[in-house]
Amino acid sequence: MIRTARRNLSVYSAILAMIPKQFMAYQLWFWISLVLSVISMAILVYFWRAIYANTSTISGLAQNQTINYILLAFIFMPLTSNDLIWEFGSNLREGTIIHHLLRPINFQGMNYAQMLGGLLTRLILQIPMAVVAVFIFGLRFPTDLSTWLAFLVSALLGFTVMFFFNWFLACFTFYTTEIWGLGVLVDGMTFFLSGALVPLVMMPEWIRNIVLSIPFAQALAVPVSLLTGITPLSDAPLVWFIQVLWILGMWIISTLFFRVAVRKITVQGG
Amino acid sequence: MTVIEVKQLTKVFKIPKKEPGLSGAVKGLFHPQFQNKTAVNEINFQLDAGEIVGYIGVNGAGKSTTIKMLTGVLMPTSGSIEVLGRDPHKQRVDNAHDIGVVFGQRTQLWWDLALIESLNLIAKIYDVHPVKYKLMLDQFTETLELDELLKIPVRNMSLGQKMRSELAAALIHAPHVVYLDEPTIGLDLIVKERIRDFIKAQCISKEMTVILTTHDLGDIEELCQRVIIIDDGRIIYDGPIETIKKRFGKFREITFETVEDVKKLDLPNGTEMLSTDDHKVQIRFDRTVSTASKVAAAVMNQIEVRDFSLSEPELSDIVKQIYNGALEREAR
Amino acid sequence: MTRYLNLYWYFLIQRLKVLMEYRLSFILGASSTIVWQASSIAAVWIVMQKVPSLNGWNYDEVLLVYGLVTLSKSINHMFADNLWTLGRIYIRSGGFDRFLVRPIDPLFHLLADRFCQDGVGNFLVGLALVIKSSVDLGIDWTPSKLLVLIVGIVSGGFIFIALNLITCVSAFWIVDSVPVTRLVFDNHLFAQYPLSIYPKAIGILLTWVIPYGFASFYPASYVLGRDVGNIAWFGPFVAAFLLFIGYRFWQFGLKYYSGTGT
Repeated sequence: MIRTARRNLSVYSAILAMIPKQFMAYQLWFWISLVLSVISMAILVYFWRAIYANTSTISGLAQNQTINYILLAFIFMPLTSNDLIWEFGSNLREGTIIHHLLRPINFQGMNYAQMLGGLLTRLILQIPMAVVAVFIFGLRFPTDLSTWLAFLVSALLGFTVMFFFNWFLACFTFYTTEIWGLGVLVDGMTFFLSGALVPLVMMPEWIRNIVLSIPFAQALAVPVSLLTGITPLSDAPLVWFIQVLWILGMWIISTLFFRVAVRKITVQGG
Repeated sequence: MTVIEVKQLTKVFKIPKKEPGLSGAVKGLFHPQFQNKTAVNEINFQLDAGEIVGYIGVNGAGKSTTIKMLTGVLMPTSGSIEVLGRDPHKQRVDNAHDIGVVFGQRTQLWWDLALIESLNLIAKIYDVHPVKYKLMLDQFTETLELDELLKIPVRNMSLGQKMRSELAAALIHAPHVVYLDEPTIGLDLIVKERIRDFIKAQCISKEMTVILTTHDLGDIEELCQRVIIIDDGRIIYDGPIETIKKRFGKFREITFETVEDVKKLDLPNGTEMLSTDDHKVQIRFDRTVSTASKVAAAVMNQIEVRDFSLSEPELSDIVKQIYNGALEREAR
Repeated sequence: MTRYLNLYWYFLIQRLKVLMEYRLSFILGASSTIVWQASSIAAVWIVMQKVPSLNGWNYDEVLLVYGLVTLSKSINHMFADNLWTLGRIYIRSGGFDRFLVRPIDPLFHLLADRFCQDGVGNFLVGLALVIKSSVDLGIDWTPSKLLVLIVGIVSGGFIFIALNLITCVSAFWIVDSVPVTRLVFDNHLFAQYPLSIYPKAIGILLTWVIPYGFASFYPASYVLGRDVGNIAWFGPFVAAFLLFIGYRFWQFGLKYYSGTGT
């Protein structure tokens, strides 16, 4: 797993170093996407500061807590990425899925390692905007080691929940070619349903219940709430337990659906 | 009537000098260095109405640069071009009304539209009178056999169907000057024949002038009476195809079918053995040095010959020679 | 001029025919933009239930601002979306040369070649928000307020198009103009909310440099009876100015392109 991540990283950096022109184009896009992230963060920060102009707490959260939460949710967005769905879509089109299934390695495990590697790469690429957030927008990272540990465990668990959920969604690619449209719709909803735009505690109960009944929040809102201290450390074990239950549930339905879908292409030919 | 007149046409490009490696790329960002590349160097030629001219040269010789200037896409560095009395760059729109262009690799038709819809849209763009349009459409439908194609979008067409449609699209507004760039690329022989026949017929009836750029010398031989060869930005030949063949077709080939396998032969001057295998011997001789009968006699004195054949010079060989500087050697 | 209008209409009809064939994509495309917008608005709604004032603007007033910029954005999205693709699709493949060989203006051709259906989603959202907020706010519509609103939307749309045009011209030099266009375009997100919530620098940026502010904040302020002064009427002048610059820049880029052939 770590080997795959390291391999991904070294491949990326080797490619970067070897091709000057592409490196230059990458440079341009790198700086521009950093500016674009700063714009998004600025809007979030000023919006919330204006909201808190005449109030000290909302739903028990102070301004700095909320802004910390919003910025951290923005930075850790990659935890909700659904690359798997796009991968499946393109894999299927190229017929490579059959090859994978014939190999004696664990197909799901291999994909998991790949996605994890992708996640780590993405998170590293988020570092510059985190730096900007700290120095310009006053983001405060917790200094407490146990908070970080609790967050990391929860983030990994949440990522795993999303992995199996995406696996489940990806199985739809076996049945329809319009996966692009579905993917875009899911993207649009993820932003809100992951809890990135509004802290869960601020949502009216009925909305919060809906959001908590879908997997997205487990990947982002839940771990980030731990990191910001909105969810106290003492609740960590309970949080992890719930996430593990989610993993089990998602794992079961994704594996079942996958088996059915695979049978469809091997029997019908897709 | 002169339709195209090109005088001292020159195009010089400023190419950035790139140094290799990362440091080179960085240097290139702050202190870009340029060097001049003359793609087209003071060329001159004239085309009269009704001519079909082949414009050939190796890749990078300046062919597409010339065509881009003729069509008004690229601005010349110096010199002048007159197409139907207009400067194609300065009077771009007016010129565009009277020209048709086929870029062999890139279709001008809309990918998802049925052919007939594409043609309708093109007719609107070129402001073709509805009556004239109907006439042209009917004619092309017949000569290019477009009946079943009219309702099909381009994305569903085979390469041959695409090219027939492309030609119809390029000519639907009855242009007086037509630029064809690789119109038969990738097509099978039968379709090529149809397309060549179509172009020929159009030119006879329409007083259309055609410039054909292609690597397919079969197209040139079939369609063009005149050939202009460009090499390294300069025109090295401009004249009838026949003259080229006569002047530069100095090599002939005789293929002998022999009873036994031949290993070695004593050959007269100006001859060389190209290959020998499987009871066949190929010999090439220089017409200016030797004669067919001399070669045949020499060979038949040494071995028993069952049959032999004499081949005409191929345009592609001749062109190859010219590319390799035969013209210059000839001039000296 | 009438010829170009006729021609545009014809291009549009053809495009719609194609879109009707891909009905599912059409609907998904339009809905995806609606879903995106709904997410943001839902978040704003939730927050403003708790705190009804955003720097003195209430929920419906915020919606009006949001709706106006979305409406302006949709005009660009529907009619000028093809500008984004100039480099990646037309210049990179050489397809742009085809435009130069046809007897119509290449900029017109680029714009007319693709009406973007996704923009319809934005248009509907923007319209719904503007209508809903106006009704709920019970605005007293005077002729000048109505005029400011309509002028604001139209000139806002042209400001979006002009900025899009100015940035896409970079494609003649660097081919992939999308990052450059994004750099400018994304600033419109600031204009989704009242400019008064931002520090002065951003307000100046969005008024005098990348003037998206004229698409939403200034017309809204005027309509809501807030004191903005005459600046509320500057929109069309700003739009005209930017369009002028955009077109001159386009001609400059075109000249460069026909000089170097890329």
